[in-house]
Amino acid sequence: MIQCTELTKSYRGKQALAGVTCALDEQKIIGLVGRNGAGKSTMLKILAGHLKPTDGEVCINNDKPFNNLTVATNTILIEEAMTFPNNSDVAHILKSAEKFYPNWQGDLAKKLLSYAGLSPKNFHYNLSKGQRSTFNLIYGLASRCAVTLLDEPMNGMDEAIRSDMYRAILKEYIAHPRTIIISSHHLKEIEHLIEEILLIDNGKVALHESLEHMQQYAVRLIGQRDALEQYRTQANILFEKQEAPFAEMVVQAQTLTLNEQQLRDANIQVLPVSASDVCKYVTAKSRGGIDDVFE
Amino acid sequence: MNVNVESTTPIYVQIADWIRNEILADRLTADGKVYSQYQLAEMFNINPATAGKGLTILLDENILYKKRGLGMFVTVGAKDMILQTRRNETLQQLARDIVLEARRLSVTDDELINLIQKMQRGECQ
Repeated sequence: MIQCTELTKSYRGKQALAGVTCALDEQKIIGLVGRNGAGKSTMLKILAGHLKPTDGEVCINNDKPFNNLTVATNTILIEEAMTFPNNSDVAHILKSAEKFYPNWQGDLAKKLLSYAGLSPKNFHYNLSKGQRSTFNLIYGLASRCAVTLLDEPMNGMDEAIRSDMYRAILKEYIAHPRTIIISSHHLKEIEHLIEEILLIDNGKVALHESLEHMQQYAVRLIGQRDALEQYRTQANILFEKQEAPFAEMVVQAQTLTLNEQQLRDANIQVLPVSASDVCKYVTAKSRGGIDDVFE
Repeated sequence: MNVNVESTTPIYVQIADWIRNEILADRLTADGKVYSQYQLAEMFNINPATAGKGLTILLDENILYKKRGLGMFVTVGAKDMILQTRRNETLQQLARDIVLEARRLSVTDDELINLIQKMQRGECQ
């Protein structure tokens, strides 16, 4: 169990995390999503113990990650900025990993690398951006750490290897369940893989829901402008758009006081809203989106 | 096999629908064992918990039943139950559309009922 309480992190006075409180269950795949600069990477670095929180507390099975050997051996953070010794090749990097990670799977790493067409004789710094991401992710899977943190792991990978790697994560997880937190700008891409979504916005938790709840969080109402206008006060509006004579409102489903039949009878279409659209609307700066800028 | 991640139908609902279709097609039969959530997760490339939620829907609808430690099985009569529900849902949706259209065209209740009765008797095409 990972417990964050009022977690904050400031860089030179600017808050990257502004009081994150959440509890993450063990052995789930959790999607960490949010806009650019929302605080996703900072959060993962703190969970991995790479950064010390400015304030607040984080506990992984009652251990504080920063400067903690138990957490270090059971946790791995895969990110673009991972560095490996410049003078050792891939084979050597894999060899030394055995000493760090008690569950290290050397065979799995070799097989996956050979599938991905990465020779063990390569030097890490010589790999292309996509190849480096592939290597890093394979390294992360082979470590079989109880807490596996993946920060945008597919960056730079081509389409084919990307879907292979998603499949590899899933198969590894089914065979050897562990806590996996995966961050992404593209929720659509990881939706099939995850059980829960943690949406971060401006350094705070905006939503923390199961995927299913997220998909039922909002509904889209489309109808004649006048017909829709009278329902304005009947729900919490997340997004709206007017393209006369039609209008569109995305509202929080829970706050809607009318049922679907009543709306349909008023000639208002009721459509589901995807989880990624919910995230987009919840974290939007204005209720009209980009169109507001051109008003 | 793949679920449609672009669809607005949640993945777990798609899984439940797929199993219902397998029952309708007699590929899963009464008292036969159903795929486990882990098999479904591998088959459809989805999170096992999501697959599990698809199975739970069918458990709640009594389409499937659970044998402790053995897994889930198809209830006797599940196929008829699915057929019945689909019939009701499809017919109700069609009726709803007819009523809406009739209202738009200012067709009275009597006119509408007359029309349906005539249809039943085969008096109009």
